Amino acid sequence: MLTKTEIESISGEVGNFSVNLTKQPRYVDQDLCVGCGACAEKCPKKIPDDYNTGLSKRKAIYVEYAQAVPLKYAIDDRYCIKLQKDKCGNCEKVCPAGAIRYDQKPEQVTLEVGSVVLAPGFKPFDPQGLDSYKYSEYKNVVTSLEFERILSASGPTHGHVTRPSDGEEPTKIAWLQCIGSRDMNKCDNPYCSAVCCMYAIKEAVIAKEHQGDSLEASIFFMDMRTHGKDFETFYDNARNKAGVRFVRSRVHTITEDPETKDLEMRYVTEDGKIEVEKFHMVVLSVGLDISPELVELAGKLDVTLGANRFADTDSFSPVATSREGIYVCGAFAGPKDIPQAVVDSSAAASCAGQVLASARNTCIKSKEKIEEKAIKGEPPRIGVFVCKCGINIAGVVDVPSVVEYAKTLPFVEYASENLYSCSQDTQDGMAELIKEKNLNRIVVAACTPKTHEPLFQETLINAGLNKYLFEMTNIRNHDSWVHKATPDLATEKARDLVRMAVQKAALIAPLAEAELSVNPNGLVIGGGVAGMAAALGLAKQGYPTHLIEKSSQLGGKALALHKTWKGEDIQENVAKMIKEVEDNENITVYMETELASVDGFVGNFTSTLKGKDKETTLEYGVAVVATGADESKPTEYLYGQDERVRTSLEMDKLFKENDPALDKIQSAAFIQCVGSREPGRPYCSRVCCTHSVDSAIALKERNPDANVYILYRDIRTYGERELLYKKAREAGVLFIRYSVDNKPIVSVNDGNLTVQVKDHVLQQTVEIPLDALTLATAITPPDNSKMAQFYKVPLNDSGYYVERHAKLGPSEFATDGVFLCGLAHYPKPIDESVAQAQAAASRAVTLLAREKIFTSGTVAVTSPANCSECGVCVSLCPYSAPSFTTEGPFAGKASINPVLCKGCGLCVASCRSGAIHLNGFDNNQILAMIDAL
Amino acid sequence: MADWEPKIVAFLCNWCSYGAADLAGVSRMQYPANIRVVRIPCTGRMSPKFALAAFRKGADAVWVSG
Amino acid sequence: MPKDVIGSVMVVGGGIAGMQSALDLAESGYYVYLVEKGPSIGGVMAQLDKTFPTNDCAM
Repeated sequence: MLTKTEIESISGEVGNFSVNLTKQPRYVDQDLCVGCGACAEKCPKKIPDDYNTGLSKRKAIYVEYAQAVPLKYAIDDRYCIKLQKDKCGNCEKVCPAGAIRYDQKPEQVTLEVGSVVLAPGFKPFDPQGLDSYKYSEYKNVVTSLEFERILSASGPTHGHVTRPSDGEEPTKIAWLQCIGSRDMNKCDNPYCSAVCCMYAIKEAVIAKEHQGDSLEASIFFMDMRTHGKDFETFYDNARNKAGVRFVRSRVHTITEDPETKDLEMRYVTEDGKIEVEKFHMVVLSVGLDISPELVELAGKLDVTLGANRFADTDSFSPVATSREGIYVCGAFAGPKDIPQAVVDSSAAASCAGQVLASARNTCIKSKEKIEEKAIKGEPPRIGVFVCKCGINIAGVVDVPSVVEYAKTLPFVEYASENLYSCSQDTQDGMAELIKEKNLNRIVVAACTPKTHEPLFQETLINAGLNKYLFEMTNIRNHDSWVHKATPDLATEKARDLVRMAVQKAALIAPLAEAELSVNPNGLVIGGGVAGMAAALGLAKQGYPTHLIEKSSQLGGKALALHKTWKGEDIQENVAKMIKEVEDNENITVYMETELASVDGFVGNFTSTLKGKDKETTLEYGVAVVATGADESKPTEYLYGQDERVRTSLEMDKLFKENDPALDKIQSAAFIQCVGSREPGRPYCSRVCCTHSVDSAIALKERNPDANVYILYRDIRTYGERELLYKKAREAGVLFIRYSVDNKPIVSVNDGNLTVQVKDHVLQQTVEIPLDALTLATAITPPDNSKMAQFYKVPLNDSGYYVERHAKLGPSEFATDGVFLCGLAHYPKPIDESVAQAQAAASRAVTLLAREKIFTSGTVAVTSPANCSECGVCVSLCPYSAPSFTTEGPFAGKASINPVLCKGCGLCVASCRSGAIHLNGFDNNQILAMIDAL
Repeated sequence: MADWEPKIVAFLCNWCSYGAADLAGVSRMQYPANIRVVRIPCTGRMSPKFALAAFRKGADAVWVSG
Repeated sequence: MPKDVIGSVMVVGGGIAGMQSALDLAESGYYVYLVEKGPSIGGVMAQLDKTFPTNDCAM
């Protein structure tokens, strides 16, 4: 990890790049800094805290925030008195580790790498230049990022919602959408930033949670864009349950009352009325922006940017930049939310890995193994190390007395104090002591095991001890830091904590980590664009891949589509992809084949593949589910009764075949949200707005005199798709909004097809004669229940698969070894499907590349003799680890697969027979700690 | 009763509340020293036995958080 | 492609996207240099309070 480092130049080509970097000085030796914070306490220079968006102060020597990684201090040389004026020098005097280095200079670093992934992110749009909102003048006008900090418990107000001018609780807050987005007049950002609608709703809901019903939260918007998975329900709940007010409008100006600092907002409603309303605080929902520095970086790397300064990519290779071997992910490739950024980043990893597959494992460093000592039958010989953490612990807790006390505890062979237990020399010393004193259980009383347990376990391993013979207790975060005023009580608490840890340590045993080999074969289910992209992702990293498709043709739903939103020809690209799949020697394709059974678990699955006239048994290590979704067939708007009424895909067929009927269309309409965003199917189908807008433009281009209408509820051309919406309006496509309780009425009179709709701007009903009506129908999943059972993965209320984590695990399941991509996850366009498929492949490769899986030692085990076969554990476990044994002397009894067990202990607590034990946290061990109280 | 301080035993989930207690430390939030934390891998691991055992050992309150 | 392919990757940016990429690559057997211009990683996500639509803590 290289921090404070920037790229200067790059040379070479894919597989062999040379990169020159400049590492800016931290002025603190990272190897010596222990992150104690004594320096910042004594630093006299207070400056605005960037992390809290300038709403609070920090010191010139700082860490960005308490959870920062690395938790090492750095000096901000723009402000440091020593570096600027050669005075002060306080931090050097107080640093207990001697880590301060005022003489550090920028360093030149050269890296030799095979490929590059760009994830430089975005900059929140700066609204200072916008005159209408007076952001820099009015204190109570804040950006959405500032409001995030105000809401945050770690923020400047500790999560208490107050307004900047007077610290009073506001009772009326307005959010203004599209600040620095969808705007060519006040700024140069024509695109939609894709995330602001959702974060504004979230902020409004959370603010109301903090403040209660006394807070009136209003969101002023143009179109509400809640096009992601479960987003529409979130919007519905905000409106109907949380009572957030949504106002479709355009905001004109804000003026401040000079005395109260309240803000008077003037806005125009949809029907043209001018309203004036007072608020205590206004939040500007700022968009995502690419900074000039990033444009410069792209120039240095010779990577092409598009018109909006986002990196140029192609729908079928969504993370590849214009330069081979350099990949892009996150908001630098276009405005996007966190799950999409996470998907992209795994996709970029997959692509960056593909080009280097031949060099896998050549640059990584491995360690030599140290023989583990057998301690079975030995009485416990416990070593206790009490850390002073400089003065962090020793300044409050009387460490020597804790050490003396520890020596009196049963089984304690040795106890001592360390100045910094985590420093390398102390670690080496501890390993020597363990060997010298023949210790077989180690207790460290120091900071938190969440960050330091692995470090000390490493020390045990180096001393030849099983790493589970370790217990850590937290006398810093939970003691010295939080009981500064009562050192006596803190010392007493430290003694108690050490006693508890020692009591538990006496009962711990070495645990084995089972080793399991991973079958290198991958199975991909579904031969659509997502499935093919996933198969290619696995195959190109060198893994034999089996692709099954139930129909007689590869390509899936893409075969019915005409063009992507970027204008690429889909048929041409899909044909290319099919050829690539068929030509790849690592891929075996099984046509007209379905999955008939699944046995086994991560690394070792066995399935029966049922083909037209043969069955195959396949053993594989990972599975990717890419089973897709369908266009629903509507039952309204005369569909099926009049041939001029078509679905979007049926319309695409005309375009694909260049049907002459298209030229005869003089008046066409598209109805959006047919079967989406309604009770019973509450989700937004994500792709239809862009699709219809694109088709409408195509109709206009064919026949500029034609009247083309889009009847919509919200236009959701998110991200750079917004430019298509703009283009459509410029081409003369007419957009008429309808509301869900007043849907358009389609009728045929004397053979004339017409649609009636109430226009919200004109406030009257209009009747439009039509030659063609296109219904943008919902995307619906097929019945996935069988597959869900095969792999024990969940489905949501709408029938889509549920991923491991909505944000951080979008392309995988909670069940290990099973991955997810494409429309089976949620409706999405081709570029996002390909990215998710590559992401699923990337996640799968992280398993396959290990070749062997080591199970954790802290897993649950059953004692079959006590098991009553009730099945509670089997049904309860979220990871499907317990199952009934099918053969042998304990047939019918539950057993737990250590590979799948995450060691949560849910089954242990729920077992009515007491037949399950959790290694490392067993009843007797926890009770021993309680007993020591 | 004025000087009486309760003895509190907390069972904290390793993944959330235990981390939160760590953060309280990093933020130097000050609170009374009469709490003893037992780290458990998940609140799913919590058993009524543990609460009872704590009360038997003289705890005035048991706090389970996760 | 040159003969000597180097089995390491540079990831530029230590936000959520960069971190995920770096983790995937490291777990796939490639050495990763994670380059960040600030003093610590985490990016903008570390500044957020909660995330939509689940209102999970962003930290």
